[in-house]
Amino acid sequence: MNRFQSDAARFWSGLCPVFLLLVVSVGWGTLRAEEVGDRWGTEEREREYYPIVNIPLPADTVIEAGAFAILPDRVVAVGTRHGEIYLLEGIDAPKPAPTFHLFATGMDEIFGLEWKDGAFYVTQSCELTRVSDSDHDGVADRFETISDNWGYANYHEYAFGSKFDAEGNQYVTLGLSESYNSWALYRGFVMKVSPDGKTTPYASGLRSPAGIGLDEHGALFYVESQGPWNCSCSLKAVSPGSFHGHPASFEWYKYAPELGPVPPTPKSGGRIATEKKRVKPLVPYAIVFPYIRMGRSITAFSVNRTEGKFGPFENQMFLGDFTLSILLRATTEQVNGVWQGACYPFREGLSTGILNVEFTPQGKLLCGGTNRGWPVRGIKPFALERLEWSGKMPFEINRITIRPTGFHVTFTKPVEPETGASPDSYKISAFTHPYHGGYGGPEVDRFQAKVKSVELADDGLSAHITLDKLVEGFVYEFDLAGLRSRDGEELLHRNAYYTVNEIPSP
Amino acid sequence: MNDATRQSGTAGTFGCAFLVGLLLTWFASLAGAEPTGSAIPGNHPLTEVQAGELLISELRCAACHAGLDNASVPAPVAPDLTDAGSRIDPEFLRRFLAEPSKAHPGTNMPDLLSSRSEKERDQIAEALTHFLVERAKNYFDSRWKQPADRQEGKRLYHAVGCVACHGFREPLDEPRPAPQPDAADVADEDSDEPAVEKKEFQPIAVSLEHVARKYSVKSLEKFLFQPLAVRSSGRMPDLKLTPAESAAIADYLMGEQPAQAMALTPEEPLVAAGKKYFQELNCAACHRFPGMEAAPRRSVPTGASPSTGCLSNAAGRHPRFSLEPAQIKAMTAALRADRQDDDDQTVIAKSLTAFRCIACHIRDDFGGVPEDYSPFFTTSEKNLGEDGRIPPPLTLLGAKLRPEWLKKVLFDGESVRPYMATRMPQYGTSNLGHLPAIFARADILNGVEMKIPSPESNSETERQRERLLRKGGQELLGDKGVYCVACHNFNGKPAPVNKGIDLMTTYQRLQPGWFNSFVRNPGAFRPRIIMPYSWANGVAAHKTILDGNTDQQIEAIWYYLSLGTSAADPSGIRWSNTKLTVGETARTHRGRSRVAGYRGIAVGLPEKLSYAFNAETGTLSAIWQGDFIGVDWNGQGSGGFNPASEPITLAQDVSFAQLADDNTPWPLLPIMTKEARVNPNPLYPKNVGYQFRGYHLKEASIPTFLYRSGTIEIEDRSTAAGTTDRRVLRRVLQFESPEPQTVWFRALTGEIRQESDGVFVSGRLRLTIPPVETKLRPLAEEPKQSELLLRLRIPQGQSNLELRYEPIPK
Repeated sequence: MNRFQSDAARFWSGLCPVFLLLVVSVGWGTLRAEEVGDRWGTEEREREYYPIVNIPLPADTVIEAGAFAILPDRVVAVGTRHGEIYLLEGIDAPKPAPTFHLFATGMDEIFGLEWKDGAFYVTQSCELTRVSDSDHDGVADRFETISDNWGYANYHEYAFGSKFDAEGNQYVTLGLSESYNSWALYRGFVMKVSPDGKTTPYASGLRSPAGIGLDEHGALFYVESQGPWNCSCSLKAVSPGSFHGHPASFEWYKYAPELGPVPPTPKSGGRIATEKKRVKPLVPYAIVFPYIRMGRSITAFSVNRTEGKFGPFENQMFLGDFTLSILLRATTEQVNGVWQGACYPFREGLSTGILNVEFTPQGKLLCGGTNRGWPVRGIKPFALERLEWSGKMPFEINRITIRPTGFHVTFTKPVEPETGASPDSYKISAFTHPYHGGYGGPEVDRFQAKVKSVELADDGLSAHITLDKLVEGFVYEFDLAGLRSRDGEELLHRNAYYTVNEIPSP
Repeated sequence: MNDATRQSGTAGTFGCAFLVGLLLTWFASLAGAEPTGSAIPGNHPLTEVQAGELLISELRCAACHAGLDNASVPAPVAPDLTDAGSRIDPEFLRRFLAEPSKAHPGTNMPDLLSSRSEKERDQIAEALTHFLVERAKNYFDSRWKQPADRQEGKRLYHAVGCVACHGFREPLDEPRPAPQPDAADVADEDSDEPAVEKKEFQPIAVSLEHVARKYSVKSLEKFLFQPLAVRSSGRMPDLKLTPAESAAIADYLMGEQPAQAMALTPEEPLVAAGKKYFQELNCAACHRFPGMEAAPRRSVPTGASPSTGCLSNAAGRHPRFSLEPAQIKAMTAALRADRQDDDDQTVIAKSLTAFRCIACHIRDDFGGVPEDYSPFFTTSEKNLGEDGRIPPPLTLLGAKLRPEWLKKVLFDGESVRPYMATRMPQYGTSNLGHLPAIFARADILNGVEMKIPSPESNSETERQRERLLRKGGQELLGDKGVYCVACHNFNGKPAPVNKGIDLMTTYQRLQPGWFNSFVRNPGAFRPRIIMPYSWANGVAAHKTILDGNTDQQIEAIWYYLSLGTSAADPSGIRWSNTKLTVGETARTHRGRSRVAGYRGIAVGLPEKLSYAFNAETGTLSAIWQGDFIGVDWNGQGSGGFNPASEPITLAQDVSFAQLADDNTPWPLLPIMTKEARVNPNPLYPKNVGYQFRGYHLKEASIPTFLYRSGTIEIEDRSTAAGTTDRRVLRRVLQFESPEPQTVWFRALTGEIRQESDGVFVSGRLRLTIPPVETKLRPLAEEPKQSELLLRLRIPQGQSNLELRYEPIPK
């Protein structure tokens, strides 16, 4: 045993996987086992509109999907937690029986995958890598490091990568070393990687981020998990220098001149609407997903640009949740320069924890993941599933946008005029969260919003709701159970949640 | 032509037309069989009238006759003929259309031309064939096939469930096992209850005799892969075959190909005539076809008699179904009986009969695998007994499964018994969509209600109870309790004894009342179950956990299973790391490791020599022989690796550095401790000029690592050399420098002794270096140890350095 082994032992003290495994496997269940939350109870009705189709996997193969990419010729690539890339052909067939070709192996937990000019751009925990097949034998042989310009030295340090933006940049979200601390370089940052590999700190204040990408307007968003400084999961709008609430990453501003001076440390226990005035770079949560009702660990999203093939929700974001094995929708809008928007229940009853989602070439939603390591409702250790629109129009809230005095709600089917024009059908309440360093937190300051009037459009497809007041920094919770469609149906999902950061001027 | 017109008119008179059922099969099974007295084969519970009603529905009498619709079971739809011409051999089509039951004994398709002369029949059949071929997307080609595994096809045919409805085609490969004593029979000897008399019934055996003449291997494969695409009524269900499995079974069923069929080129006058016949014979009544309308329906004429018309087997202008006497009798009885709405149990019985669920499943006193077929129902878990190989009973199904799970099984192909060779097929939502609600209404079990605790309850007593039940549940499931996990997988982890249904599915699938009743008395639900009685007569076998209270123990298990994947494993389950092995080419795996840092890379060479590379610092950091690595993909495991045998470890600090002089200390990895975990030197080793650039997999998939030290580009490749007894890792470093320069390479650390020129030993490692300037200097912190530095004078352009690392046996 030489000195360096003992050094290594010190370096690894408390971090050795075997040791961790013991802690986790013994500790997890006894300390953390929990029922993951109530269901929406809509699964049986949802299946009529959006059936879930299992994608059969090759026998004796573990495919824990962490990222997807669409290639030319309708090939779908799946990047896995086991560090492989599989190429699938035939994913869209009515009875899917795709072929699986193992293109690359040996990488470290893939949570970002994109295809460009004959190569994959792979976000693994350790780096962003260009992976290609130089001798064209169908198997990857070049793994070129594009960027490894971040610290990676602690147990919980995941990295999620985006697709390319219009300029060819990619963005990587770097989770903290664990919930409360940042021990390795840039943990808690979004890094921007330009096409030449130049890597610069882009935003800070992340906790345990997951997927990052562009919304329907081309604006950059990432998914944040519930935890310290985050009472619920949320979508956060990322811009150069934006700070997203968790101060642990302030440690690294000395290595990040791009971000300017270290922001003032947020005060724990206030409200984000007030703290954002004091902590200038602080960007409020664009969309809050009320905890458990709307997911417990949202992982990634994909924008529906299927030109109607996936049904009525064109241009909307579809998000997967790991713990509850559900899918959600979200819509965004910018008001007074600040992003905000709404989220909506979409589909429950998937078979495993969803780590990523992607629209297939023919407009179906591919979902995949695993259920290991954390509580997950879906009981399959791993699965690939495909959601498709049956062609039947569900009666749903399509999109909620804000107006100076209230909200504009659109529907997928005409609303019957009597219930649709009655303010009693629109139960709207509002709550906010404390903005604090504790883990998670309650919904507070709840009040019932008074619906002063409703104007239902003649075609029944939208309603304009006027409230007595709108308050910044609140999540408006809609319960429209009283509405009926013209053919007498109830809404498939009665709830929606709009996060008000800004109120437009009249 | 005139004949056809007349025929059509006649058909109208009788109110009968071209009836084609999908239920080819019942008749097939009866054709040539001894009359059994039952109108429908299989162990069904239907009365004669009910059987007649079902036949009327299955033969689609309502396609032509008004007033015969029956809502109990979704009526079949005849095969989709839009692409029949490319699917079916035209020669077969011709023969089949001319006289269906001759070409395809037992078909449901009636003979519409029985009153015609042979010449007329041929002429009409020829015209219809031309019409169907012309409409098809492609021409039929009997040669259309791809290589398939016929032996595998034979195996699959006899394993996946084809036998249940089509019978076996080959004798068993192995002699039939001696019948096992039946637990229920044994019990009966001692009891006063009379032994249940075994009901005699005709097994279902739909003939496949015509198949080889009808299809090409490829068209049969396509059909088997997605039978519902052509036959949407699900009487031939989708067995969840993959394309390769479909091809294998198709190849097996087709056998050696008959002489090649002549391609048929449709001739326009015949196509036109065929189209006319299609309309006149009212084919569209049963076969949906674009541009064709069914004739209006007529009611059954009063006074219709079984000796004339559709029910008779005599030649005539009516469709001739070639019915068995028992069928005629049953249908006649049904037509004469007062029509009543079926109750739920009858709808279930009719549905299970129509879709032949009874071929595999028992429900109450009907259904079940016939004795002759039973040996073909197999399992990979023989010790699970009958329940490992025979599909589960459907008795009380509606009280057993949660409705949402039943839908997953029926419509999404969900299954939880991977050990069972027979598959639960898919029948299509439109065919079985009525069943879940009816099962839920019809099957009532008044089980014990369980009180499930809430961990977030406001009451401390309740929270305490929750903790108690959680602990008890975990203990009971494990090897210190009733040891359920001995024979049930748990959360994807295999059980040590028999690999029965994963317990994680329990709460998602089962209703609590059924679960409670079942575990109390498994044998009441499954007479031959191997599951032990842990609460026989309500008395807990395990006395210490939860004070031996039966109700609480069962509640505790149920509660524990309700926790799902978040619950800790019960004791008795082992996790193990995934062993990665190396085949004929090298294997590369990235992941964190104590021997290579977080940016670690393990490389296994086929010569059973492996090494680790710390990509964070560009350092060869461990070498070992024997098996490759174990990878942690358990729980939250992120794919970290451990060498499969004890490695020789080396320093993990950066390997190349520019030193001001030979006294400058080596730039070491920053050290984080439990007390100070923030990296104090976060830019290391980029701040000493190191940058990893990736790797290429070259011949034999061996990686060449690429990195940079200052302005020197380095390629680093290690291969196995030496002999089997004396393996050496030969490492070649290739440099590309824009200018001549000096760089230091730290080759070795530890208690180093020099064996000879260029040969150094530290611990279990012997290192051989080329003749270059070296410096062996003590380590500042541990003076007994030293580091061997090589001073490399790198020329402009390319140069290289070869090192040999030899493990020394203990």
